[in-house]
Amino acid sequence: MNGHDTLFAQLSTLGASVTLLFGVVLLWRRSLGAYIEAFRWQSLVLSAVFALVGYYGHDHELYIVAVALLALKVFIIPWYLKRLYQRVGGEREAQPYVNIATSLIVAGLLVMLAYAITRPLVMVSKLPTRGGIPLAVGLIFVGLFVIVSRRKALTQIVGFLVLENGIALLAALCTYGIHLIIELGVFLDVLMGFLVMQVIVYHIRNTFESIDVEQLNQLKH
Amino acid sequence: MTGYLLEIGQALLALLLAPGLVGFIRWLKARLQGRRGAKPWQPYYDLRKLLGKEVVMSKNASWLFRFAPYVIFATAVAVTLLVPLVAAPLPFDAVGDLLVVVYLLLLGTFFLALAGLDPGTSFGGMGASREVTVAAIAEPTIALAIFGLAVGAGSTNLGRIVAQTLSNPGAVINPGHLLGFTALFIVMIAETGRLPVDNPSTHLELTMIHEAMILEYSGRYLALIEWAAALKLLIFFSLLSNLFLPWGVATTLTPGALGVSVVALVVKLAALAVIVALLETRIAKLRLFRVPELLGVSFVLALLSVTSSFLLR
Repeated sequence: MNGHDTLFAQLSTLGASVTLLFGVVLLWRRSLGAYIEAFRWQSLVLSAVFALVGYYGHDHELYIVAVALLALKVFIIPWYLKRLYQRVGGEREAQPYVNIATSLIVAGLLVMLAYAITRPLVMVSKLPTRGGIPLAVGLIFVGLFVIVSRRKALTQIVGFLVLENGIALLAALCTYGIHLIIELGVFLDVLMGFLVMQVIVYHIRNTFESIDVEQLNQLKH
Repeated sequence: MTGYLLEIGQALLALLLAPGLVGFIRWLKARLQGRRGAKPWQPYYDLRKLLGKEVVMSKNASWLFRFAPYVIFATAVAVTLLVPLVAAPLPFDAVGDLLVVVYLLLLGTFFLALAGLDPGTSFGGMGASREVTVAAIAEPTIALAIFGLAVGAGSTNLGRIVAQTLSNPGAVINPGHLLGFTALFIVMIAETGRLPVDNPSTHLELTMIHEAMILEYSGRYLALIEWAAALKLLIFFSLLSNLFLPWGVATTLTPGALGVSVVALVVKLAALAVIVALLETRIAKLRLFRVPELLGVSFVLALLSVTSSFLLR
């Protein structure tokens, strides 16, 4: 490995760990505004990772992906989320299913699990970016955990978006990004999925006057 | 021989700089908040005044109350001998490594909590219980965060860690380093009683921690405790700066290198002081029951730092 590759390896692992850091910070916050803000910063770092991989991997398509990601996840989606947040009123993630201290420990364990299960992959990989792979898988787990452990519809959406960020990070680190068409398709999918969820949140809000998904259980009776 | 002289010089430098550091942060905060503020060297005058004043003791206080300030001060001074402030391979490296540093600091905290309980006031008891709550999570986190570095360097010796990082500068941006730095920064805030964990500028708050324990102290005892608290702040700042960004630390004992390293130390301390002052101006105090959650974040980060340094070796 030459010096160029070593620097690339360290910068990409650094990017991956900052992305994960925002995922962990998310678990500590309570206000929905803070969730949106953490997601925004995370996406900013993620698009920087894409640009970095594009530069060192000599793949110029990745610059386009980085710009698209920046536009979509740093500006458009957070803007919509903020509007949604203001419309449903300042609700807080006051009592998640798993309390905050436990969630943090669970997040730590999930990342260690990610290290354990990606170990064979990292061992056979020759890529300079392999150091970040466990962190990306860990971020996917943390996103999934946010979805299952939080009560409010809005925080669950942010969890989904974080999960999606994790998958994008994994794609960037493992394969230096997938084909541009597929990548753009994924972005469109995320945007559509997000818009559909937004509509559902409005419906939940109209029916129950709250965005606590716990209320949906009442529909069974 | 020069090594031991250097050790003593380093401890004296720390003792001399510590009140100035506290004063500098106060002055900077006042400026940021639009006040004129006391001069940065005000704490030196405060210490001189306190040392000259008579000691007023509670009738209920025992020998422990008199004894504790000396222990607190002595542990803080002992730690300055072990932390690489200006030069990396120190003769006392053979005496103690990071575990000794962590537990010396904890010994000081322990005696401070005991001294808070001793006179039997309700504030002292509250402060002591809070301090112990914070310390119980903070101490293992300090050890873990530095362990993350120790795994990379192959030694728990603070001097060796610094020397290792200096010889391999690329290691500074690996994830273990970054997560460890974040974890230690949060713990530093909690352990030195800064915002958002404790408010250092008042002793009129119901949720105070450090100030609640030392309410009963006066005169030279108060001076010793305040000086030790300032030393603790300096120790944490220099751990953060010299372990994670060790540039400027002298590896040879020439006057030139030492001069550079003293200047580098002052610059790094000032930079961290600016960061802390900015942070304290921007954020409000956290509710007491959220403090363990914040420390939980730092513990998880420290754990991840050790995991990633261990697995990516």
